[in-house]
Formats: sequence, C-alpha cells, structure tokens
Amino acid sequence: MNNTKSKTLETQDIINKTRATKKQDSFSTKSGERVGVFICRCGGNISDTVNIQELKSSIDANFVGEFENLCSINCRRHIREEIIDQNLDRVVIAGCSPLTHLKTFQNYADPLNPYMVEMVNIREQCSWVHSDKEKATKKAISLVQAGVEKVKKAKALSKIISRTEKSAAIFGGGISGITAALSLANQGVKVTIIEKNPTIGGFMVKIGKVFSPEKLAEECSLCILNPIINDVINHKNIKIMTKTRLLRAGRRSSYFNLILEKDTSFVHEDRCIACGKCADVCPVEVPDEWNQKMTMRKAIYKPFSQAVPDVYTIDVENCIQCGKCEKVCNMDAIDFKLKSEIISLKSGSVVIATGHESYDLTKRPEYGYGRFDDVISQLDLARILGVNGPTLGKLQKISDGKVPERVVMIQCTGSRDEKTDGKRYCSKVCCMVALKHASIIKDKYPDTEVVICYTDLRTVGMYENYLRYVQDKGIKFIRGRPGEVTKINDKLVVRVEDTLQRKPMEIETDMVVLSEAIEPSEGTMELAKKLNVGLSQDLFIKEKHSKIKPANTDVERIFVCGTAQGPKDITDSVSQANAAAAKVSEQIKCGTEAEPPVAVIKNSLCSHCGKCIEICGFKAVYRDEEYISIDPMACRGCGACAGSCPEGAIEIKGLNDQELFAQMDGLLSDKKEGEVRILAFLDNVGYTAADTIGNNRVTYPESIRIIKIPSINRLMPEHITYAFDHGADGILLAEYPDECMLEAHKAKIQELSDYVASKGIASNKLRFYKAYAPHFRGLAKQFENFNQDMLAEKGK
Amino acid sequence: MLKKGMDHGSKEMVEVIKNDYRASADIGLKRCMQCGLCTSNCPATRHSEYDPREMVKMVLDDNHEILDNPDIWNCFYCYTCQSNCPVNNSPCQVNQILRQKVLLKGGKSQRIYEFLAYGYSYMDFGVGSIPSDFFDELVKDFGEDYLQLKLNLEDIREELGLDDYNLKGNSLNEVKNILIESGFKKKLETFKDAVESKS
Repeated sequence: MNNTKSKTLETQDIINKTRATKKQDSFSTKSGERVGVFICRCGGNISDTVNIQELKSSIDANFVGEFENLCSINCRRHIREEIIDQNLDRVVIAGCSPLTHLKTFQNYADPLNPYMVEMVNIREQCSWVHSDKEKATKKAISLVQAGVEKVKKAKALSKIISRTEKSAAIFGGGISGITAALSLANQGVKVTIIEKNPTIGGFMVKIGKVFSPEKLAEECSLCILNPIINDVINHKNIKIMTKTRLLRAGRRSSYFNLILEKDTSFVHEDRCIACGKCADVCPVEVPDEWNQKMTMRKAIYKPFSQAVPDVYTIDVENCIQCGKCEKVCNMDAIDFKLKSEIISLKSGSVVIATGHESYDLTKRPEYGYGRFDDVISQLDLARILGVNGPTLGKLQKISDGKVPERVVMIQCTGSRDEKTDGKRYCSKVCCMVALKHASIIKDKYPDTEVVICYTDLRTVGMYENYLRYVQDKGIKFIRGRPGEVTKINDKLVVRVEDTLQRKPMEIETDMVVLSEAIEPSEGTMELAKKLNVGLSQDLFIKEKHSKIKPANTDVERIFVCGTAQGPKDITDSVSQANAAAAKVSEQIKCGTEAEPPVAVIKNSLCSHCGKCIEICGFKAVYRDEEYISIDPMACRGCGACAGSCPEGAIEIKGLNDQELFAQMDGLLSDKKEGEVRILAFLDNVGYTAADTIGNNRVTYPESIRIIKIPSINRLMPEHITYAFDHGADGILLAEYPDECMLEAHKAKIQELSDYVASKGIASNKLRFYKAYAPHFRGLAKQFENFNQDMLAEKGK
Repeated sequence: MLKKGMDHGSKEMVEVIKNDYRASADIGLKRCMQCGLCTSNCPATRHSEYDPREMVKMVLDDNHEILDNPDIWNCFYCYTCQSNCPVNNSPCQVNQILRQKVLLKGGKSQRIYEFLAYGYSYMDFGVGSIPSDFFDELVKDFGEDYLQLKLNLEDIREELGLDDYNLKGNSLNEVKNILIESGFKKKLETFKDAVESKS
C-alpha cells in the first residue's frame, strides 16, 4: 500500500519537474543551433516594399543570404550547398506563404529533417499588405527574427507510419454489402460478410423487378443479382457468415477486434444438401417473411429457392423440437444440441452496409393498413407481382382473389411528414417504385386503372425518361395527399383533394397501395452504438462529410454504404458501395502515413479518466483493452485533448510549446514605446484567409503579427499570459467553426475568456473570430478594428 | 392572364399570422406544400365550399381577398387539419387569426353575433360552457336525454362524487372583473350593438 502511494507521489514529482523544466526551457536559449536564413526577393514582390539590405544586416543568424527567386529550381542547389558549407542544422525561408511553398522548401533543404524548416511569410503578411516601406521593413525584420528564434526550438519529427490490416468486415449482405465485398475481394482483401438473416441478398431479392430508366423497362432483379451472388460464394477471399451479429468491438491502431455471435440454426450448414425433406415433415407453420407474411412457411425452411447459403435453417423461436426433421434427414445435418457460437474476428476496416427497414404502416392508421385486407404496401405489391410470389405474379386482391378494377397508390406514406412517428425526409425511391408497379400492372392488366396520388413527383435526372414512358401507358395522376382511406358500402374510399382543380374528392377503389417510407433499421443503430459511429438527426449512419467524404463515417477505418446511410436506390447504393471499397483499399495501400501535428499519449502518465475521448470531435481518441490511444490517422493535432488532460499526459507533436513561446517572444521583443502589437493566432482556414488578404493587396495595420496554429484548442492560459506579459496589446484567435469540434471550441473560448477575466485583463483584448476562407475582407476588417481600438486605448 | 411585375409582393399577411399570439411558435405555415391533406379531411369542406388549403395559399400569396371569403366562417375548430398536417401547419389557427382580423375591422359582426351567448355565459358563470340559448337546438339534435342530463347535472355530479363546477362568490367576481377590465365585455357589446343597430 505504502509502496504504491510513494510511487504516485514520485510520479507527481516527475510531472511537476517536467513542467518546471519546460517553462525554464522556453526562457533560455540553448546554444549550438546553427540557423541559416534565406531571403527571397520574389522578383520584386517582396523587395519593392521591404528593404532587403536592411533586413539582411539586421538578422542575427549563422548565415543570411538573399535570392531573386528562391523557389526556382537552381536555388535548391544554393540552399543545399549553404546547409553543408555552413554546417547549418536548421533553416528559415523568408518569402511567401508556407501554404504555397513549404513542401518545396522542405524538399530543397533535403539534408535536414522537414520540421527543421521554418517559413516566414514576408510577402502575404508584409510586402503585399503594407505600403510604408520603412514600417514594412521593420516588420519584416521582426517576423524573420521571430522565425529564427522559433526554428531554434524545433524538434526533428518523423511521419507516423500506420499499417492497416489487409482485411475487411462487411456488415450486411444486401446489394451494397455484396458489391463492396466483391470489389475488395477482387483487390486481394480478405472479406467477411456478416449478415443477421439466414440468407444474403437483402431487399433486392424480394422486389422482383427493378426499374431501368436506360432500357425503359423493368428488369428481373434476381437475374441481375444471381451472378453477383455466385461470384461472392465462389470467391476465395470472401467468407459469408449468416445469422450473425456483432456483440462487441475493440478498436486498435491498425485493426478492429470484433466479437461476433452466430446464432444456431440446429443445422450443420456443411452437411445440408437442401433436399427439403425436413420441411415436408415439419408440423409447424408460421407466416413467411419472404412473402410479406401473405403465405406460410415451416419452422425449418429455406427462405427462398435461390437462397445463399443454399441450406435449410430452423427458426428457433417457433420450432417445437419434435425431432421429425432430424429423423428424416439422410445427411445427419440436424442437431438440436448445436449451440450459438462466439467468434472473434480481426479486421482492418469495417464497412456498414446494414440497409434499411420499411416504415411500419400501422403508424398511419388513417390509411387502414392492417385493418382493410386490400390496403397493402408497395413491398407487398412487389411480392404479389413477383412470379415467385404468393400469387405467382397474378395481381389479385387479398380479400377475394379477384383482379382489382382500380388501384390507388398513396405516395409519401410516412415520408415528408413532420408528425409524430413520421419521417421528415423524402424516401427518394417511392415515386420510381410506384411508377414501376404501375407500369407492370398496365402491361399485364390494361383494364385495371392505376391512380397515383402524389404531392410532388420526384423522378430526378434520367428518371424523367422513365416517367414519360410510364405516362404513355395511361396512368392517372392526382396531385394531392390523401387524408383518409375508409370503407363505404363495402368499397374502399380514398379521400383526397385534387389540388390542381380545387376539388375535394372521394375515390372508390378496390385496392390501395401505400408507398411506405424507408426508415433506419434498429440493427444499424445497435451496430453504430457498438462501433461508436455517429448517427444523423434522422438516425441513419452519418457520413463524415456529405459532399467530400460520403462513404466515410466519423470513425477512422469504418465506412458506410447503401441505405444504412440514407434512402437511396440500387444504383446509388452500388456507387456508394464501390466508393466505400475504394476507400478501404486506399487505406490498405496508401493511407499509412500521418503527418504531424498529432497528439500522443504518454501511457505512464495517463490516468484513464477519458476526458480526452469526450472532447475529441474527430473520434481519434479511443480506449482499447489496456490503454487510451490516439489514432494518428484521425488526429488533426488540434490540441483539445491536451488541454483537457488533467495529468499533462498528452503531447502535441508538431508545434511544441518552446517554439510557440520563442515565436511570441520574437514578435514582441522589438516593440517600441507607444506602439501597438496584436498577436493573431490563425488556424489553417484563418491563415488561408490572411494569405488571400495579401493576394488581393488589401491592407491592414503593421501591428498585426500572425502565428499559425493547428487550432485554438492548442492554446492554453499560459500562452495567453505569456503574450500579454511580453507586450501584446491584444490577442485575436481565429478559426473555422468546424462542426465536429464546435463543443470543444466553445469550451476553449469559455476557458480562455474566464482566465483573462480572472487576471483582470479587459475582455476586449482577447477576441475570437470565426474564419471563412472566402471572407478575407472580414478578417482584414477585424484586424483594422482591433488595431484602432487598441490605439484608442493607448491614447487614453 | 395574371401578370407578375418586378415588385416582390408583400408578405405582410404571413408575417402577421406567424407572429400572432394564437399561432403555435413552430407553425409550419411557410413550409406548406399545398398537398391538400387538410382539405381532404376537413368536415367543413364536406358540407361547404371551404378549402383550408386554398385559404393558406391565399395567405402565402398575400391575397387579402381571403378576408372577404364567406367560406372561412364555416370552419368549426375541430383541429383535424392541425393534427394531420405533414409540415406542422395549422390551417385552423390561420383561420382564427383571419377571422379576428375581419372582426376587428368591424366586418362580419353577424358571424360572431351567433356566438355572443358563449361570451355572456362566460361572464355569468366564470367557466366556458354551452349557453342556454342553444338548449333547444341540442335537444332537437340529441333528444330528451340531453334535457334530462342538463336538468339533473348537479345531482349526477354529486352522485359521482364530483364537486360543483360553477364558480361562486369572490372567484366569480374576480373572473368577471378581469373580463370587464380587459375589455372583453366591451367587445361583446360592440359586436352586439353593431348587429342590433342594423336590424
């Protein structure tokens, strides 16, 4: 006991000491660094405003040289020669913006570690924004000297290499999952398809026909899908696990540890030859999901004739274990002692392709689903029209088996509906599904009238061709959303207003088809929870960025495709599945390098409190079995975690404290009596906006001194104190309001504001600004106003 | 042909209605997609020319002619439209605000005159209840049972262990005073006079 206590004390001591030496370090300059300064005249862009001779003679460094166009390829030789001749171990490039040429100069200074190269931006931040030559020269000197001081504190860093395992787990065996699996398997990736149902194929095997706007026809969905499924079965790189779901998931730096449970079906899949004798003798009959419960199946069954895997399965919930099937099975494939299996799977990436569910139509009781036999859903109709369906493809009313004389379809059932249990979004496919079914009905039963009640027909892009094709078959459209389906004198009646004619009407009909919404599935939500993947407001899997990262989730190495991410048709699902596969492949083949800045946890100091996990909007921090770790691929190096860590156990590799203190020091040390100095800490977007100010030759006061930071989260109260103590009149923190870090930003702004208040510093001296790259004039205005306010304050 | 010039047209009506205290804070008036679900379910539509969808359209178009439309007086506040509207609009609330606008301008007093008895019975009993003026009509509709219920209401309530719901003494006076001070009573009289002086 005592031992542990003393150890803890010791550790604390070490932390304190480390912190103390850190502080001291920043005030003293270590000797031995040899810095070379290369000044670029930029063909007059800099030298016309900045007096290069004066600048050159004022800089204190081991080597100072000036060049006409430093980025030109012959200067590469000059820089290399000077590094070797002068024995330089670090370099300052005084020229344009690092956003333009940092990579170039890291390359030119090749013998040195790239992080030993500091770029001082005397073009966009000096010669292009100031016109007074004397003042601009003075500022340039100050900027360059600050760069020299900063680079002295630089530490050599290397890129972080992380290798993703060459395997992928795909949750969901519908068209999306199958497509992603096949693409990856063809690229040599080991793929496991994990499907909760006894068969793969998803919704596509049920719907019978798919609409084809190209051929202007309805094509057989199984005929399209079967060859793909066969490829999947026969692929050496694909393993299919049906009746399987995720129990737990553990995240590691290069793979996921997935614990799966495969439910028993009391059938040895490897022995079953699908002869069907078992089903013949089974005495239990239950409604068949495959036919939307319009027919019955046995408790031992094969979901449909082309089911994959091609084996019988026992519905454990309904089986009475009478043993009749066991007796009749020649293959000895049935065994009631078979238990569920727990399987551990190591997988480099995860693809979520868990699909959707159909909207529960009993939540719209006004339409009578479940109350009236002949009110059915589009999926029910798909089964009825399917040649392998309950009526073998004949359109029949459930109530009396007769062909309906009129079919009324009601669009947007559950979609575009803000009411309780409704879905606010458009389910995207229902207009096309209704048209497809209308088309099939008109072809087979020209005497049956089809009426589609719609609010807006959404047949976007090329689908408009399909609409015209179906319109030609003579479908009746009524623009209005029905309020009720009821029965009058034994006839179904749809109440709707024909809004184009301003005519409320009651349509008599003998069949009503509700175009049900697509809704997120329970299984998807459960999976998301276990994988810690974020959901959208409508409870689908949220993509990382709807425009530029549509197949990524907010967790590194977990991807999404198909209707698990939102309503979409087969075409879009397949596109996204291929995109997800490409992203997994990219991760395996190239996505193995992360560049600083990144955060690193010192395990010895970490107390596992988890505050860093909470604050990280990039979900880069995670808990594995032993430690809390940071995924360098996901980390942006913003520093929010470091700020939240009570143990000081997180270090940001990239921009260290000593560099920051040295740069501030340099930017403030030459400040004269009565002068105003404002330090502007800008993130990447803010910095880009500042560069754009220069590009557009908009001016702002010389008092503005810019420091590039990964994020305002990088800044701690001690940095603020340091700046004010060393002469800063004001501090501006500008950052792009990135959605996933908004909470961390708010907390940081609060923390720093409270801190400044507690020190008795006027609140207008610390300002926050939301930076937007195109709104550079706003930032310039901000600079201008801040300067004026501080000047006015000085005047008092 | 309807010609649309470059003037943007006023949005006054929409804004006035949206900001009226009677309108729900999150009323989806501007989100109306003219689907007509309200009209298809409206009992007033079934028995008259009232079309809640069109009323909302006219409001969105800032078409003041809706104020002169006699059909808006056929809504009887069943709130079916509000409970069904897929964008959380409430044609019913829109209707109430429109009617109030008409009445405050001095129009259509006859339409409210028919309901003045409700106001007076509120003044008399301090609670909202069906005024005795309507007894005959109700008996006609519901038969003798209604009369029996009304006559024996107090006994029935007592039997069921329920308190007397009529306000008495100070409470009744307080409500009365509030109705007088707030101008409620004056308004009733204004409407009454407006109609009776005409006839």
